[in-house]
Amino acid sequence: MIGAIGAGIEFLSIVGAGIIAGLLGSLTGLGGGTVLVPVLTLFYGIPIIFATGASLISTIATSAGSASAYVKQRIANVKIGIGLEIATTLGAIVGSLTLVYVRRSGFIWIIFVVFGVVMLSSLVPTIQRTAKEIPPLMKPDWTTRFFQLSGSYYDSKISKKVDYNGIRWWMGEIVMFFAGVISGLLGIGSGAMKVVGMDWAMNLPMKVTTTTSNFMIGITAATGSSIYWFQGYIQPFIAAATAIGVIIGSFFGTKILVRITNTNIRWIFFWVLAFLGFDMLLKGFYMERIISISISEQFGLSVVISIIMLLGLITYFRGKRRLSRG
Amino acid sequence: MVRSYNDIVSKVLRGGVVASLVSIVAGIVLIFIYGRADGFTISTLANVREPFAQQLRSSLLLPSNFLSGMIHLDGAYFISVGLWILVFTPITVVVISLFEFAERKNIRYVVMSIIVLVNLFVAMFVIR
Repeated sequence: MIGAIGAGIEFLSIVGAGIIAGLLGSLTGLGGGTVLVPVLTLFYGIPIIFATGASLISTIATSAGSASAYVKQRIANVKIGIGLEIATTLGAIVGSLTLVYVRRSGFIWIIFVVFGVVMLSSLVPTIQRTAKEIPPLMKPDWTTRFFQLSGSYYDSKISKKVDYNGIRWWMGEIVMFFAGVISGLLGIGSGAMKVVGMDWAMNLPMKVTTTTSNFMIGITAATGSSIYWFQGYIQPFIAAATAIGVIIGSFFGTKILVRITNTNIRWIFFWVLAFLGFDMLLKGFYMERIISISISEQFGLSVVISIIMLLGLITYFRGKRRLSRG
Repeated sequence: MVRSYNDIVSKVLRGGVVASLVSIVAGIVLIFIYGRADGFTISTLANVREPFAQQLRSSLLLPSNFLSGMIHLDGAYFISVGLWILVFTPITVVVISLFEFAERKNIRYVVMSIIVLVNLFVAMFVIR
């Protein structure tokens, strides 16, 4: 039995998890959900189905909060965002229904494994994101005109208006469909994949990509949330705590982000993400008895592997930078 | 002064988050005052490790009961309404954009907004 005081402490501790998730999510650009789900399942022992439910609905709050500023500053391109939402909303329906199916068939361990894999593979494009701000100008294609993908924004860092032409709309839609599936399946915003869709496929500037993705995440998450709701995946007590926490965390995250000039600090955040990703992966294998090491050994192993992985990435990116310089 | 489309969208997004937070916080306060929500005790609610079937979950909180739940000052329904405000916030932006595209006679984007809304409609009312 937990009394009112115990319940209050539990509530505040989940708000705390939300704050950490919001902070790390905005500092790394991955969004709150990606940190929230592993923290809630690995450290709080919350059933993953309630963790994904709380996460997905909290994602809407952070998306709406930050998109509000970006839309006002006219950096986010709402038009391009809504066009691409055709694919993400469809993907979110497919993803949420897949989760319903997976849960009913008793394969929930697969969600842990997929989560780990998605988290680890989102690290590379997220780290790489810092490399270039404005993409090389490419020749507009037929989709640029047909889907009206040209735009401009004022970049305060270089005090200049930046014009851009999006291309390959269809390829963006394909990537967005999968981003939607991941969002619905794992209860996250899948911002990293949306960025890949707009940056890599459509050649949009990074600022437009990240801010538009932020705006889109809310619509994608809203699609999945309603399916989650009627399936019962949202526990109001947990979801209320995470929504409040994530909003506070991402608010401070964006404030801190402006002040962080030393990029080396960001590697620590990336290490936390790599650790959580590995731990989710191991937990999934452990649940299915594919591995049989204890929980503390899983922790230790995740720490070691994530450090090795990160050192490898640091060496790789530093070497690449040196090559491009010299 | 005529407000621009971007300003309206920005205000709707912020307003939605604030309104939802107010309702969620009110719900939590009510749960702590009454010590229960929708027939579940606060100790069950806070026992977050409790398996799915024994826990208060969204499928038990039907939208048709939201109003009566709120009249009875049941915290779970205040939280539910707050969470649904969140869900409807980005959807409202799509609706506003639809009107904006219609006003500018941008037929292609009117059609695209309608497709997005149809997807959202299917997710909300068709799939159970």
